[in-house]
Amino acid sequence: MMNRVLFLAFFCLGFWSVGIGFSSADEIKTVRVVGSTTVAPIAARAAEAFSKKHPGIRIVVNGGGSGVGINAVGRGLAEIGMASRQVTDKEKKNFASVHLTDHIVGRDGVACAISSEIFNAGVTQLTREQIADIYSGKIKSWKAVGGPDRPILVIDKEKHRGTRHVFMEYVFNDVNARAKGAKLITGSNNEERSKIAQSDSAVGMLSAAWLNADVEGVALKKGDTFIAPTVENIQSGMYPVIRDLLFITAGEPKGILKDFIDFVRGEEGRSIVTESGYVFVPGS
Amino acid sequence: MFSFLVPDRRCHADPMFWITVFFAGLVLLVAIIFFSYLIFESMPIWEQGVWAFLTSVEWEPAEDIYGAGAMIYGSFIVTTLALLFALPFALCGAVTASEFLSPRTRLVFKGAMEIMAGAPGVVYGLLGAALLSLWIKDFFGLIDGATLFTAGILLGIMILPTIMTLAEDAIHSVPGEYRDTALSLGLTPLQAFLKAVAPRALPGVIGAVLLGLGRALGETIAVMLVIGGLDIVPSGFDLFSPGQNIPSKLGREAAEAIGSGLHWNALLALGAVLFFGTMLLTGAGSWLLRRNKV
Repeated sequence: MMNRVLFLAFFCLGFWSVGIGFSSADEIKTVRVVGSTTVAPIAARAAEAFSKKHPGIRIVVNGGGSGVGINAVGRGLAEIGMASRQVTDKEKKNFASVHLTDHIVGRDGVACAISSEIFNAGVTQLTREQIADIYSGKIKSWKAVGGPDRPILVIDKEKHRGTRHVFMEYVFNDVNARAKGAKLITGSNNEERSKIAQSDSAVGMLSAAWLNADVEGVALKKGDTFIAPTVENIQSGMYPVIRDLLFITAGEPKGILKDFIDFVRGEEGRSIVTESGYVFVPGS
Repeated sequence: MFSFLVPDRRCHADPMFWITVFFAGLVLLVAIIFFSYLIFESMPIWEQGVWAFLTSVEWEPAEDIYGAGAMIYGSFIVTTLALLFALPFALCGAVTASEFLSPRTRLVFKGAMEIMAGAPGVVYGLLGAALLSLWIKDFFGLIDGATLFTAGILLGIMILPTIMTLAEDAIHSVPGEYRDTALSLGLTPLQAFLKAVAPRALPGVIGAVLLGLGRALGETIAVMLVIGGLDIVPSGFDLFSPGQNIPSKLGREAAEAIGSGLHWNALLALGAVLFFGTMLLTGAGSWLLRRNKV
C-alpha cells in the first residue's frame, strides 16, 4: 500500500518539477516578440541573425496582429510588441502604467489590393472616393469603377489590425470606420492575401510587401497623379498611404532587449528590412 | 467529515482514500472557480443590461459598445442547420447499423464512425475551407463561399458521426426480446422497430442528438475558417450571407483583449452565454442517455 502512495506522490512531484524547470529557463534567455504580421518577417529574420551572434539567446516571434502585440507588451506577456500602426489613445490609457515606447524599424505602404483578374481587366487605379463607396456598400459591382460586370467581394480586416487602422484612416479619416459593404473578415496578411487570390473579384487591404502576381495593388491618387504601391514610390514618399513599422517595449529597453532593437535598427538591420520588402529608415 | 461521501468507515484509514479525495476535490474546486470567474469577470457587461447585451448587434470595441446579437443569432442558425442536415443521415445510419447489419459489419461501421467522431475540428475546418466553401460558392453562384450555410453544413458533417454512434448505442441497447416478441406477434421488421424498439430507444437518441448539438455549439476553429466573421444579422434569414458565431468571435478577438477592460468583460460574457448553452444541452443529453440505460 505504502509503495503505491509513494509512487503517486513522486509521479505528481515529477510533473511539478518539470513545469518549474521549464519556466525558470524561459525567463532568463527568451525574448518574446508578438504582434503585427506585417512586421513579423523583419523580426523573424533579425531573430535568426541575432541568435547566431548571441548563442543562448532565444527569440520567439509570433503573429496575431498589432492590437495583440500592444496588448501583450502592456500585460507583460511579451518583451517586444510589433505594430504596423500607432498606439491608439485607448491603448495608451489602458496601459498608462507601462509607458509603451515605440521604436521605428522600417517603413511600409498599405495597398488597396485586388484580384489580378480585375486588375488585368483594367482596374489599375482607384480614387479615395471610389474605395470609400466600395467599402460603405454604395458601389457593388466592378463595372462602376471601369471593370467587368461582376459583384465586388469586399474584404475587411479584424478591427485591431494595424493595416486596417492605416487604410481606414486614409479612406474614411477614421481608424475605426465601419465597413458596411464588407462580405468577409480576415486577420493576418497571409489570410487576406490568400482570400484575395482565391477570388476573382475581391478587394482588400494589404501591406505593399505582400503583393504578388495574384494580388495586385491599385494606384492611388496623390494630387493629380496616380501612384502605384511600388518599393520606389514608397521609399521616395510619393505613395499616399505610408506607415512606420514599430517595435514596442514597456519603457526604455535594457540589456539584451536594447541590443536586439539596436541590431534591427543598425547596419545589419538594413539588409534584413530591405530583404523583407520594406523601406529601411536610417538613424531613426 | 467525509462520511457522507463514503459510508464505509474502513476506507478512512487508507491513505489512498485521502489522496483520491484530495484530487477529486481539486477538480470540483477548479470547476467552481472556472464558472465563478466567467460570471464575475463579465459582471460589468451584465450590469449594463442583460437584455441589451443579448439583443444588440453593435460590437465596436474601439467605442466600448458590445452587443452579442449577431453572434447568438449566428450560433443558433449554424447549429440548427447542422442538426437539420445531420439528423436524417445519422438516424438512418444508426437504425441500419443496429438493426440490419451483421455483428461483424456493425463493428467495422461503428469503428469508422467513432474515428470520424474523434477527428479534430481543425481537420474538418481545413477541408471545409479548401473544398466545401468552394463547392458551395460555385454551386449556388455566390460571390464567396464563406457563409452561415457553409458553416452549418460543415458542422452537420462534423456532428453526424457523434450522433450516429451514440444513437446506435441507444437503439442497440434495447433488449432483443422486444424485437422477438413483436416479430412473433406478426409485425414486419419495420413495424417491430417503429412500434417496439424506437419508443424505448427514444430518450437515448434524443440524448445523442443533444450531445452532438453541444459539440456543434462549441466548435471554434472549423467554423472560424468558413463563416466569414462578419458581426451581422442578415435580413430575411439569408443563409448565404456571412455571419459570426460565439466561439469564432472569441477565437478572433481573445488575444487582443486578454485581461484588459470592458472588451475582455464582453468576451467573457459571450463565453458565459456559450457555456450556459452547452451546459444545458449536454446536461439534458447525459440525463436522457442515463435514463435510457436504467
